[in-house]
Amino acid sequence: VTYCRSLRDLRTADASEFGGKSAGLGELLAAGIPVPPGFALSASAFTQFVREAGLGGRIDDAIARVSPGDLDAIGAAARSISEAMRSAPIPDPVRDQVGEHYQAFASEPAPPVAVRSSAIGEDSQDATFAGQQESYLWVRGVDHVCDAIRDCWASLFSAPAISYRARLRRDQPAMGVTVQLMVDAAVSGVMFTCNPVSGDPSMVAINASWGLGLAVVGGEVTPDDFLVSKVTSEIVREQLGAKAVEYVPDPGGRGAVRREVSPQRRDVRCLDPMAVASLVDVARRVEGHFGAHQDVEWALARDTSELLVVQSRPVTSVPKRARKPPPKSAIAAVMSTFGADTG
Amino acid sequence: MYPYYALFDERRRETDENRFWFWNSMHFPVPMPAFDAICIDSPYQAVGAWQNRVFAVPPAMGIDYRCVNGYIYISGNPVTDPAKIAERAEFFQKRAGYYYENWTELYAKWRAKMEALIAELGELKVPSLPEYEPDEIAFEHDRNTAFYEVLDSYGRALRLGDLMWQHHFEFLLLGYGAYATFADFCKSNLPDVPDQHVAQMVAGIDVLLFKPDAELRRLARRAIDTGVDGAFVEGRTPDEINAELAQTDAGRAWLDDLEQVKDPWFNMATGDGLYHYYHSWLDDPRIPYASLIGHVAALRAGEQIDRPTEDIQRERDRLADEYASLLPRELQAPFHELLGLSRTVFPYVEEHKFFCDYWFLTRWWNKVREFGALLAHHRFLEDAEDLFQLTRHEVATALDELVLTWATGGEALGPKHWPPIVARRKQILERLAGWTPPPALGVTPEAITDPMTIMLWGVTTERVHDWARQQEGGTELNGAPASPGVVEGAARVVKSVHEIADVRDGEILVCSITSPAWAPIFSKITAAVTDIGGVMSHAAIVCREYGLPSVVGTGRATAQIHTGDRIRVDGSAGVVTLLGGRT
Repeated sequence: VTYCRSLRDLRTADASEFGGKSAGLGELLAAGIPVPPGFALSASAFTQFVREAGLGGRIDDAIARVSPGDLDAIGAAARSISEAMRSAPIPDPVRDQVGEHYQAFASEPAPPVAVRSSAIGEDSQDATFAGQQESYLWVRGVDHVCDAIRDCWASLFSAPAISYRARLRRDQPAMGVTVQLMVDAAVSGVMFTCNPVSGDPSMVAINASWGLGLAVVGGEVTPDDFLVSKVTSEIVREQLGAKAVEYVPDPGGRGAVRREVSPQRRDVRCLDPMAVASLVDVARRVEGHFGAHQDVEWALARDTSELLVVQSRPVTSVPKRARKPPPKSAIAAVMSTFGADTG
Repeated sequence: MYPYYALFDERRRETDENRFWFWNSMHFPVPMPAFDAICIDSPYQAVGAWQNRVFAVPPAMGIDYRCVNGYIYISGNPVTDPAKIAERAEFFQKRAGYYYENWTELYAKWRAKMEALIAELGELKVPSLPEYEPDEIAFEHDRNTAFYEVLDSYGRALRLGDLMWQHHFEFLLLGYGAYATFADFCKSNLPDVPDQHVAQMVAGIDVLLFKPDAELRRLARRAIDTGVDGAFVEGRTPDEINAELAQTDAGRAWLDDLEQVKDPWFNMATGDGLYHYYHSWLDDPRIPYASLIGHVAALRAGEQIDRPTEDIQRERDRLADEYASLLPRELQAPFHELLGLSRTVFPYVEEHKFFCDYWFLTRWWNKVREFGALLAHHRFLEDAEDLFQLTRHEVATALDELVLTWATGGEALGPKHWPPIVARRKQILERLAGWTPPPALGVTPEAITDPMTIMLWGVTTERVHDWARQQEGGTELNGAPASPGVVEGAARVVKSVHEIADVRDGEILVCSITSPAWAPIFSKITAAVTDIGGVMSHAAIVCREYGLPSVVGTGRATAQIHTGDRIRVDGSAGVVTLLGGRT
């Protein structure tokens, strides 16, 4: 059974098995958009793991017993499941395939990778709310990668996730995992291929801050906020944030550490016009590829200044503004300007 | 000095106090000389006639004005009765519809009409008053005596002016309205689109207004090509430059070339044209010569000075295509249709200024000056220019007495009557110039709804509330972001055209409003700030072309900023900051 596939080989159709994130990255790669290399674990790796460890019944039991409002019971169930998961072994075929892919995609011996959950089906829409967006950064070595994968799986049974699913009466969950070569980002952030506030489709809204993406995604900093024209790459509005903290690779070589940003650097605009222009370019390509507005996580590599996309997903939150219906004709519209509406 | 109806008056206090009046500093930045008040009456007669009586714009009649200490405040007359609005809408739809449908054809006719009017003005003679009438009067029976000819000529001069203003406004409302509709469409469907992109998509490429400077660039190149560029030294007067050119064959050939293109292209006003002292380049060649000196220096330094029309055209089409493609499919066709209509009407919007405000008006002032010369010749005035201190009706009165006493041979009172009045008025104007009028009077409305006020003056609800906030004090001025970029530097406040020559390299221009005739100084300045105007204003257009940051419509920049102040202009955000300190 194939549990692991290179991101390069995935397409949208693979989302049901590998999760939305992995499939989306595959699509981006196919569209020629710069994405760090990586591989994906299928949901069947997770189900195989649960089956071999004999955890299925235990999960069902724990979940069946909780009622949505009972926080203590939920907490207990979450602890018990995740303990059981963390002590269970990863099936050999899964571990072997992870090892193969891990060693194959980088030249250095134990390359740092990011291990992230890749939610499946309707879960993917709710994943953010349900606290299933776990990210393990700067993970090195096959053993640690496998541990991080197991931690991702376990996050399906975090207290909020259980309570969320209990409330919505969702079925047994499943999850894919994305493993990607880590970018040591000098600057990273998120961008929308439209203005999510006004709905303007000609704008790219960019949030950016120093270091790895965690700070922006986790809301730990007020990022620099740019509104940029897709048409000319001009910055239409900007608000520089006080970027007080940043995440950088742990000097010890494993994991990421949070540190204070020096006062001089906090208020400095973290993107130059060239970086903004390349973000706009990528935003347009990503949007063009998917044919819908996208919410894109990106990073600027510290050594090469290369812009890399680490995730893209559809924007679901654009306000549906009450738009005036399109005018019947130019003349009709002009008449209305003069308060002489026809009909 | 001003007509009775131009003032706030006890007898209509109740109505006037409850209206919203804003200072029309766009057109009348300095106190009005008595004669120049004709440029308030005629335009508001004309705009009201078209807007209210011809097209019957449903919610808005004409614009009233009041003169306060020589400054002009205006206020629109709304139509509020729904039945009346509906009645007017029928007129408007039919009549405006006709204009839009036949725009290009009607505009061509308009241009012909304007050129004929300008020619007629050129032919208008201002007779002198001879000791003896010539023989023809006696022997040929179809001639009139000079008393009649003087009065007739003055009457005709005024009528030609009225006609010009009538033509001026024939297309104006509809032209601006079509553009405003496109801009609104963009704003509601692309809410963050910079105003300048909207303007860029519509603006013409081969616009008449760019032609004068294009001719100067060509002449600068010719000066270098024929080796006479040495004459163009910074600090020299046009006469000094001409004198040097006249010494060589090549120089004389260059002067001939200049002579060929002067008319019509030097019929540019040195200001926005509504005051008598805005001469044309023909009258005052300092501006075009300053520009020539700049172009020559730039060419010598190897700079590219040509307006990159192909790039501008390409960019304009690219913007339009890109924005269209970003819109939802069902809005793409209306976008193109509205853009198309805007582009159809825009030649008028851009070119009427050249025909009316510059070409006609500068010549018309000169025609009126001839009556000043006639009055001065007969000592009714000390100087021909003094005529402008009298109202047009007073001038008619003075001419009446002049031809009367010329005819009778009696003693004229005029030489004793008019000069003291003129002297007094000059003093008054000087005093009034030192006062800065508040941007608005009366009741600040919750919202500005009059489409004309918004369209023609850029006076929006937002702007009015900014004004209210900014009343004195504060180190920040808000305006419309007209051309992007941020620049810091020393301010140069230019309140009248006479101060243009003072502008130094690297300064930030702060003015009430600029006119196309100021174009040459845009190669010297690093940014521009104006009191009034929107993103379609001249300063905005030129700044975008030159890539200079610009904030327009700040309301009080010329009042709060002084020459030498260090300021920051953020043309992207529309904010001007006084940084403190002077250079």
